[in-house]
This record gives sequence, structure tokens and C-alpha cells, in this order.
Amino acid sequence: MHVIVATDGSPQSLAAAHHLTSFADPAKITGISVVAVIRPLASVAFADEISEDEQHEVGEGTGSFRAAAQRAVDAVAAVFDGWGPPVGRQLRSGSPAAEIIKAATEHDAGLIVVAAGGRGLSDVILVGSTAQRVQHYAPCPVLVVRPAPRPRRAARPEA
Amino acid sequence: MAETSTGTVDDEDSGLRRSITAKQLFFYTLGDVLGSGIYVLIGLVAAAVGGAFWIAFALGVTVAAITGAAYAELVTKYPQAAGAALYVKKAFGSTALTFLVTVSFLSASFAATGSLATGFASYFATLWEGPPALLVSLVFVLALVVVNFIGITESVVMNMVMTFVEISGLVIVMVIGVWYIAQGDADFGVLADISVSGNPALAVLAGIAYSFFAMTGFENTANVAEETIDPHRAFPRSLVGGMVVAGTVYVLVSMAAALTVPVDQLASSDAALLEVVRQGILPFSTDFMTTLFSIIALIAITNTTLVTIVTQPRILYGMAKEDVVPGVFAKIHATRRSPWVGLLFSAAVVAALLITGTIVLEAGGGIDLVNRLALVTVVLLLAIYALVIVACLKLRGQDENEHTFRANTPLLIVGLVGNLAILGFSIYDDPTSLIWCAALIAIGVVLFLVEYAAGSRNRPPGTRRGDPEAASRRDA
Repeated sequence: MHVIVATDGSPQSLAAAHHLTSFADPAKITGISVVAVIRPLASVAFADEISEDEQHEVGEGTGSFRAAAQRAVDAVAAVFDGWGPPVGRQLRSGSPAAEIIKAATEHDAGLIVVAAGGRGLSDVILVGSTAQRVQHYAPCPVLVVRPAPRPRRAARPEA
Repeated sequence: MAETSTGTVDDEDSGLRRSITAKQLFFYTLGDVLGSGIYVLIGLVAAAVGGAFWIAFALGVTVAAITGAAYAELVTKYPQAAGAALYVKKAFGSTALTFLVTVSFLSASFAATGSLATGFASYFATLWEGPPALLVSLVFVLALVVVNFIGITESVVMNMVMTFVEISGLVIVMVIGVWYIAQGDADFGVLADISVSGNPALAVLAGIAYSFFAMTGFENTANVAEETIDPHRAFPRSLVGGMVVAGTVYVLVSMAAALTVPVDQLASSDAALLEVVRQGILPFSTDFMTTLFSIIALIAITNTTLVTIVTQPRILYGMAKEDVVPGVFAKIHATRRSPWVGLLFSAAVVAALLITGTIVLEAGGGIDLVNRLALVTVVLLLAIYALVIVACLKLRGQDENEHTFRANTPLLIVGLVGNLAILGFSIYDDPTSLIWCAALIAIGVVLFLVEYAAGSRNRPPGTRRGDPEAASRRDA
């Protein structure tokens, strides 16, 4: 079974990757693709909040969302280091939900892992979250990892 | 089947999945350039020059297109989203200059957003006179900020649809012009009429300065550089091509407007292009045409404003990551992945601008603050564009490869001279604009000093300003 793990650069998506390793049997997973989707026309096309090394030269990183997405993908892929299944990394560009589903279709995936940051009514009433759209149109089962209930901020990688 | 080998394999297609095609980029440029200017500014250009204002458009467009070529060259070298600030940093390596370029660009962008919002309100008033203009423009800006926050601006399809609507509006104006000519009523003499007292060359220069503003916005195209398929081929064609097409449309539309509507009527109208359809030249009810055209103009202005409101927080975000502006602008909303601090800041500045402008106007201040600022900041934009052309020439021979687009050097020099001529004229024509610009830059310098002083306090010891690692530690 091939597994797609999506990241939007958020700590929640890193937590979702950790969650997968907490219960799944690596022997039954043939491969993992870590996918990040860049949204070209959005204000901030990709924001990386999880990678620890930002050793790029001053000025080099200005506006490079692709570099940010690559760092986020690497940070999530690092979760699966030594876990067993081979890990692929993919940067895509476009609408997040559509691209995640495309990636799943291309790999004939058996599971999609996404983080749901969405809480409250605004998501439901306005446009729905990426996680919701993935659930509705995915060609395979979807694991939606919701943030742990906590008082103020979303789960941090070191928490 | 279970594979137990450890390690990583790269997906065969990793790193290459870009989503914006050359065609989409072309329409992105076209939509961005077209909406902003002609709907709001044609009256001003007509007032400055008279019936021959299409010449001003032709020249303004040419200078802008050459500047676009300089951007295209730099984009193919540095396909990242920061635009002018990045190029200036690469070419001159000065943090202070980069900061001032950022502040100048942002103030021009805020003023443009304000001007577009008042333009939106004046077209909206032709549909429904009920709500006050200030309320309409505020709600308009807030709605776009919310749309941006939610993140539904990412639709390339929506962008293309809005651009097609925009073009259709201008095509209607051209059809009216052609129809009018076919009826044999056209007096082509008006196209050569420069009805301004004083030097006609100066009048045309004034018109060029205004029409140049109609072309601004093309630099936002650099934002999507990274996500463009084959940017080395796509950018020069789509950016310069889009500007040339937009410019041609402008010239034809201004000719049509000059032929069909008396120039003084254009000059005194808030929504000048509406006067063309109000002439009742096409065999449709004037009410229907006016309504249709108002809706098209509203969509056109929305398209352009949306891009400016996407760009402002993006610049703030990039500069915060570089530790040039306070790190708070790099904050990303946990669930919506939008730079909410930057968005709120943009909304607050534009709203304050609109409210102050209305108060000044109603208190009998005698100046239309918003549009005054929009015109004044063209001076700043011109300086930035000139700087970008200089940066382009200075960066020759660096970071080049066989794919790099190389703009024609003599043309670049013509463009530089053109930019400086317009800049010089704008200052000569309106010396008070220097005071306005000086005030804006002074605010920028104050902000820079504040950030420099405050920034060094919360920067970890042993790291220097501009060290992105320090910025990221501080955010964490």
C-alpha cells in the first residue's frame, strides 16, 4: 500500500506524520510520498514552520516559496527515516486538495494522511478546509489527524 | 510486496511540478495591467492633453513595456517572488536601500489600492446610489482582504474569467468607436487636438505620466515566477507580450473615447469610460449598456485590486523573513495558512487612507487625498523602475546561463531615459509631490530606525542583522 502524506508546512502536518508512525505497520506500506502543494496566486504561496535548519545565504531565500516547501517536505520525510518504507518527496503547485488527490491517483495510493487545522464554523460555512475537500473526493481512505485539544496554540514539533 | 529497504527514493517528477502556463501568465499580466488604469484614469489623461491623449498612452505604454523587459530579464535570473526589492538587494547589497524600496513600493501599492477602491465606489454609484461612497470602498477592501485570508485567491481560473470580462468591456468601447466611424460621424481632427495652453510637449509628458500609472501593476507578475512552467521562455513573452497587448488596447480605447465623447466631458467625469457607452451610439438601451458596463468595470477593478492586496502581505512576509521588517509580519494563520498580520496591516492602512481622504474632502480641504497620493506615488514607482533598469544593467554578467533572457541594451537605456524624463517632468510639473514623497520616505526611514533599534534587542547575540536564521529563531 502506498501512502500519501501531505504537508502545508504547519506543525499539525508534522504531527500527522508522527501519528501515522505511531500505529501503522511499516511492513505493510510499500512506499510513502511526502507531498507539499504550493499555491502560486495566494499571498504566501507556502510557509514553512517546521524545518529547523534555515542555513541558506542571506538574500537567497527572499520569496523562494519553492525552497520553503522543499524544506518542509524534507522535515516531514525525516519523520520516516529508518522506519522502513522508501520515502519519496514531491513538490506540486496549484490548488492543494486537487493536487493531493492527483498525487494519490498517480501513485494508486491506499491511504492519504492530512492534518486538519480547521476548527469552528468558519471553515464549514465559508469554503471548507483542504482536509474536507480531500475527504470528499479522494480515491482511497483518508486519515485526517486533528490537532490535540489544547488551550492556546497548535501542537508544536517539540511539544 | 512489502519493501523493507530503508532510505529515501525521490519521486521521478519531484521538484518540477509547476502549475502556471505561459498562456495563464499572459492573462495574469493582462488582467493586472488592464483593470487598474483605464477605467479610473482616462479622464485625467484627457484633461491633461486634450483629444490627442492617445499619444500619451502610446508613449507611456512603450516606456512601461521596456521596463517590463528589464523585469523579465531579472525574473529569468532570480525566479523568486520579491520583485524590485530583491533585485536592488542583489545589485547594490544595501539593506537600507532595500528597505526604502520596500517602503516606497508598499506606499505606492497602498495608494493604488485606495485609488482603485474609490474608483470601484464611483462605478458602484452608477448601479445603486444608496450607500455612501466611503462605505462602499471600505466594504470592498474588507471583502477582498477576507477573500485573501480564506485563501480562495488561488484560483487561476477565476483570474482568467475576470480578465476575459475586463477585455470584453474594452472591446465594447472599441466596437462603439468603430460603429461611430462607420456611421460617418467621426471627426478625426480631434485625435490631433492638443488643447492645452502652453507647451504641447509638456502636455503630452503630463499625459504620459498619468498613463504610465495605468500600466503599473505589471511588476506583480514577478510574484508567480517560481511557479511558472519554463519561466525562461514564458516570462519574456508573457510579461512583455501582455503589456504590449494591454498598451495597444489602451491606445485604441482612448482613440475611441476621444472620437465619441467631447474631451471636456471625459475630463470632468469620475467614471470616464462610462461616458462612451452613455452616448447611445450602439442600438441598445443606454440604461442596459450603462448597467452592463458598470458591472464589467467593477469586475475589472476587483481583479486588479485583488492582486495588489495579495502582493502587499507577500512583500511584508518576505521582508520579515529577511529580518528587514518586524518578524510579526511573517506570522501565518494556523489553519488558513494566510499571513494574517500583513493582511490586517494592509487593510488598516488602506482603510485609514480612505477615511482620512473622505474627511479631508468633506471638511473642504480641497484635495482628493487618495487620488493625490496615488499620483504622487507614481514618482516613487518611477524611481523604483529606473532603479530596476539600473540593477538589470549592473547585474549583467552575473548569474547568467544559456536560458537567461537578455533585454535589448539600447532599449533599456531608452527606457531608463524615458523613466527619468517622466520622473523629472512629474517633479517639475508638481513640485509639491516631492514634499509628499519626502514625507513618505521619512516615514520609511523612521520605521527603519525603529526596526533597527528594536530589532537588535531581540536578536540573539552573535548574529547580525539580515541573518535569516536569527529571524526564524526569534519567531519560534
